[in-house]
Amino acid sequence: PSHSYTGQGGQESEDYESEEQLQHRILTAALEFVPEHGWTAEAIAEGAKTLGLSVAAAGLFHSDGSELILHFVSECNTKLSELLKKEQKLVQLGEAEKKPIDEFLRHAVEARLRMLIPYIEKWPQALSVLLLPRNIPSSLNLLTSMIDDIWHYAGDQSTDFNWYTRRAVLTGIYNTTELVMMQDSSPGFEDTWRFLENRVADAMAMSNTASQVQSTGEAVVQGLMGAAVTVSNAETSRAVR
Amino acid sequence: GPGGGASLRLCATRGAQDGINKPVIDRIIRVDHAGEYGANRIYAGQMAVLGRSSVGPVIQQMWNQEKDHLKKFNELMVAYRVRPTVLLPFWNIAGFVLGAGSALLGKKGAMACTVAVEESISEHYNNQIRTLIEEDPEKYKELLQVIKQFRDDEQEHHDIGLEHDAEATPAYSVLKTAIQLGCKAAIFLSERI
Repeated sequence: PSHSYTGQGGQESEDYESEEQLQHRILTAALEFVPEHGWTAEAIAEGAKTLGLSVAAAGLFHSDGSELILHFVSECNTKLSELLKKEQKLVQLGEAEKKPIDEFLRHAVEARLRMLIPYIEKWPQALSVLLLPRNIPSSLNLLTSMIDDIWHYAGDQSTDFNWYTRRAVLTGIYNTTELVMMQDSSPGFEDTWRFLENRVADAMAMSNTASQVQSTGEAVVQGLMGAAVTVSNAETSRAVR
Repeated sequence: GPGGGASLRLCATRGAQDGINKPVIDRIIRVDHAGEYGANRIYAGQMAVLGRSSVGPVIQQMWNQEKDHLKKFNELMVAYRVRPTVLLPFWNIAGFVLGAGSALLGKKGAMACTVAVEESISEHYNNQIRTLIEEDPEKYKELLQVIKQFRDDEQEHHDIGLEHDAEATPAYSVLKTAIQLGCKAAIFLSERI
């Protein structure tokens, strides 16, 4: 918790702010400069300047922009959660219709990917940094939390292996759509959203097929059991006669 | 050189439940869910073999209680947003095989298996009750109530097993030790993966 007071010159100073909070503030300020400078120390330095800090503050962070990118991803995930939570409340209050699953997933993934648009030029660079071995634990953690969040608000209540299947499928959809978006030059990224729609439709079809296969399998087993019982009854009655 | 590294703590997007010790609760619910799931499959296996015998009704009744337990943990799992163990498909088969296998040794064998498993589960629940009380009995009141109730149910199953001559099973102590070792391993793994 930080206490702030207004000093005599009308200047606000933080009485107590943790180093972490300060770092968050610098990184948030730096995002404005990413489209121009990329995910670099320059962007962080510019961000520090707007907060009235020395450009040397950039020295607090890695030169490859790892923390800046991870901070950005975390902020986007938080925004997505808040958006989904707000929409969930509206549905609960009856002020909005509950979306069917495929539409919900499309909406959530699109909303999250749209947050990349201002930074899209520099995003491929960010992706490669996120894949550095040093960053993988954090970036993977952020990715899985986000996917789990989306399923949670989609109303997933699975407590069996489906829990994993659904998250794996959605992760695949998200990642592939993200890559398509990197190379999409269509107006308003309409190619990307169409790609997303198709992938989600594929996933729905796959799950229908899976449950059809399962019920067919069960029906076949029951048929065989029934046949076996009939045969054994016939044998028994023949023996008795 | 560059400081900080990736030590910047990032906001967790998950967590509608503030203030609870998420890692501890996560483990507890995941392993308990796995346990009740396994217990269900064990009784299913026993019923498949002994369903029409004289102990059928007894096993069925214990099985019904386990079904209620599993239902409760399914609810808790969703409420606390805990992921299930990846090993569920494996416990599905292993549980059934253990139940059916022990039942093929006869009624006493099935009861011996019940005694072994229920003793393990009771001890395991007692450990969890201790952990939660050490953490914060007020905060985890509901969970504590559930686990205490279930611990009592499992203890009852254990006693029913003894009443039905579990100890008269040939190689009883060997069987019991082997099964309890398996339970310990299952608990260890399900907490983590």
